[in-house]
Amino acid sequence: MKDDDNPPIDEDRRDFILNTATSVVAGAGIATACWPFISSMNPSADVLSKATSEASLKGLKPGEVKTVAWQGKPVFILRRTKKQITSMETSDGGKDPQADSERVQNPDWLIVVGLCTHLGCVPSRKKDGWFCPCHGSVYDNSGRILTGPAPRNLDLPPYEFVSSDKIIIGKA
Amino acid sequence: MKHVISWVDKRFPLTEFVKKELTEYPTPRNLSFWWNFGSLAGIVLVLQIITGIFLAMHYSPVASLAFDSVEHIMREVNYGWLIRFMHSTGASAFFLMIFIHMARTLYYGSYRAPRELMWWTGQGLLLLLMATAFMGYLLPWGQMSYWGAQVITSLFGAVPFLGDELVIWLRGDFTVGNATLTRFFSLHYLIPFIIVGAVVIHLVALHSVRSSNPSGINLADKNNIPFHPYFTIKDIFGVSVFFAVYSYFVFFQPNLLIEADNYIPANPMQTPAHIVPEWYFLPFYAILRAIPDLVGGVIAMGVSVMIFAAMPYLDRSKIPGGARYRPFYRVMFYLFMIDVLILGYVGAHPPEGFLVILGQGATFFYFGSFALLPFLSKWEEAWLRKKGLPAEVEALLASEQVQQLDRRHSREDRRKNSTETSGDDGNE
Amino acid sequence: MMAMNNCARFIILTLSAMWLNVFFVSAGFATTSNFPLENIKFTQDQASLQRGAKIYYDVCRLCHSLKYIKYKVLQEIGFTKEQVDLLRGDIPISASLSKTSSDKMLNSQYGQVPPDLSLMAKARKHGPQYIYTLLTTYSEKEGVYENAVFPGIKMPDALNVANAIDESLKQEIKSKAKDVTEFLLWSSDPRAAVRKTIGTYVVIYFLILSVMLYFIMKRVWSRLDKEK
Repeated sequence: MKDDDNPPIDEDRRDFILNTATSVVAGAGIATACWPFISSMNPSADVLSKATSEASLKGLKPGEVKTVAWQGKPVFILRRTKKQITSMETSDGGKDPQADSERVQNPDWLIVVGLCTHLGCVPSRKKDGWFCPCHGSVYDNSGRILTGPAPRNLDLPPYEFVSSDKIIIGKA
Repeated sequence: MKHVISWVDKRFPLTEFVKKELTEYPTPRNLSFWWNFGSLAGIVLVLQIITGIFLAMHYSPVASLAFDSVEHIMREVNYGWLIRFMHSTGASAFFLMIFIHMARTLYYGSYRAPRELMWWTGQGLLLLLMATAFMGYLLPWGQMSYWGAQVITSLFGAVPFLGDELVIWLRGDFTVGNATLTRFFSLHYLIPFIIVGAVVIHLVALHSVRSSNPSGINLADKNNIPFHPYFTIKDIFGVSVFFAVYSYFVFFQPNLLIEADNYIPANPMQTPAHIVPEWYFLPFYAILRAIPDLVGGVIAMGVSVMIFAAMPYLDRSKIPGGARYRPFYRVMFYLFMIDVLILGYVGAHPPEGFLVILGQGATFFYFGSFALLPFLSKWEEAWLRKKGLPAEVEALLASEQVQQLDRRHSREDRRKNSTETSGDDGNE
Repeated sequence: MMAMNNCARFIILTLSAMWLNVFFVSAGFATTSNFPLENIKFTQDQASLQRGAKIYYDVCRLCHSLKYIKYKVLQEIGFTKEQVDLLRGDIPISASLSKTSSDKMLNSQYGQVPPDLSLMAKARKHGPQYIYTLLTTYSEKEGVYENAVFPGIKMPDALNVANAIDESLKQEIKSKAKDVTEFLLWSSDPRAAVRKTIGTYVVIYFLILSVMLYFIMKRVWSRLDKEK
């Protein structure tokens, strides 16, 4: 080595730089190596391709409800009667006030995720809305929470009307 | 941090343990890179367990789904292909590391007293590893998987009286079937943890007798250096080089060691034209086939693996240094290695014509070299002593005798005074 | 210094271990090619893959499914979403490519169901050459098709090689066969390209890390030499 005049300090420094650099490189490598393993636990490509579902609205009479699966979750499709529409449009719900117009694209059709916002049970259909059998939350015909422990209105899935009687739920 | 450590130390000998068994653990200074393969095998074991756990998250151990689920891992799971190829390549890497580790032990005579228990625990580890690899190979449920399992489980039919019942009991079915797959999966997941336990025993034995070294004499009490930093950095360097080679195979040649037939789903109605076991079983497979009798072949194959355990008794020479100072033994070692390669070659090919003779010859040599060893080692020692041992060896022998007397005392001293480690008497 | 001296030995050792592996494998492979190996380079370029996909779609798909390839995945070889939509029609994009004939019909015609092609390029030794050779060695004798390299094969002359009389048509069919082979090679391992890209970085990374660690090791061990 050429810097013999002052070896101890210089060598210590060189050691320090080399050790630090190697530690950084090795550390970065170990961190990167973790990623494939973490990533492998995320939804796989075939699961992701189920991100959207098609649902036909054909044959549903006013007042009838249909449940379809989207990403493995139930989605309620309610074809509302004129009476239900007017009664929903004149109210703002209860605990989590929201206008009915913000919750539907077409007032005839209410499309909500059928999982209680409290703890994820599937509410059952009652005359004027839904009732969650787990802890008694009550939702109206706009999927809004009226009474019970649920904190929010029923969630709205992203959806669009492909035609007058067919929707695609979820984002492609 | 200091407080935490001292809190722990009052309740558990953490610092003392790390100091005694790792940082200041006395290690012979003259270890060559051949001594890296033990730690490398350990790393591969960890790698196999981690990748295996993640694969099991996506794999379905059901006959009708197994093949598809492997393709699902390869195509749909994020980085599934990487984890799967790491695991399949890792299996070969594991055997390669273990075989080199064994070859080193044979060459340098590291199996000799007082390291018999290390050698035997290692032998147990090899058997566990073989069992794990064999059962893991069934899981992709390809043609080779299926027929490999079918053939190997049939070998148990050679057991007298109980044979047929035993085979069916092993399979849980009349042929290899869903029940076989499920139990192989269960055991394939279990045994690696038993291996981890056995490795701990292997290491406890190591830390009791200390590392052997290329000159074959117990330097552990003499020319020692602390394990850290000298061997930690050396082992880490070895791991890095290993990963460079391993990555090449994982990323560029992942299918090299996967038989084409294993990409065809298992079909119990049709056997592939040419069944070959994985490369690491080839020499033993060749021995199985060399004996023209089922029972005899199975026994020969079993003995060919287990016979290594007898090495500490077969080798009767007192000359230290393994093959280093023993010309006959060295020649035997190399011939044996070549013989194993020949057996591997024979095992990979259909048993036809000349290869049958070659396989039988190589099998004869395989067992012959073990049978010859007790006599060879005695003749060799007598010859060497008559010829006059090199001064170096004489010195080693003398100090060996002195040490054997000394060792007992120094052990007791050390135990009494555990804070004073033997690391500081290195380089004297 | 001891470490340096042995380093070279260690590298030679690992390399020879590598070759030992290769030895075993090539030993297993060497004897088993029962057809002449044509020296063709499969490049996996997108244009060729797309042409191959179309030939598969128009010809092979009649009898052979491609169950591990989904319509969606075709976008990975450069097809646009619109092109894929056009191909699939009403079939969901997450569905796999299935054959158009029924198993029953195929069974009655050929006595067996033709194999799925997803893994064909890996499920035969020298898979790509196997597919290419198979496709290009048909001949016709008095209305009966025969394959020179795979006699007795049930598969008909899909690319119509037997009737290709003039040289330019023959070349065209050969290039078609190559395209299909490229596509099936891709189908057997769609992650090969990304695997090799990542692999290059990983191997380079470990080589650099090994060099750095080597220097640290040298420094650490030199302390011992100094003490002496």
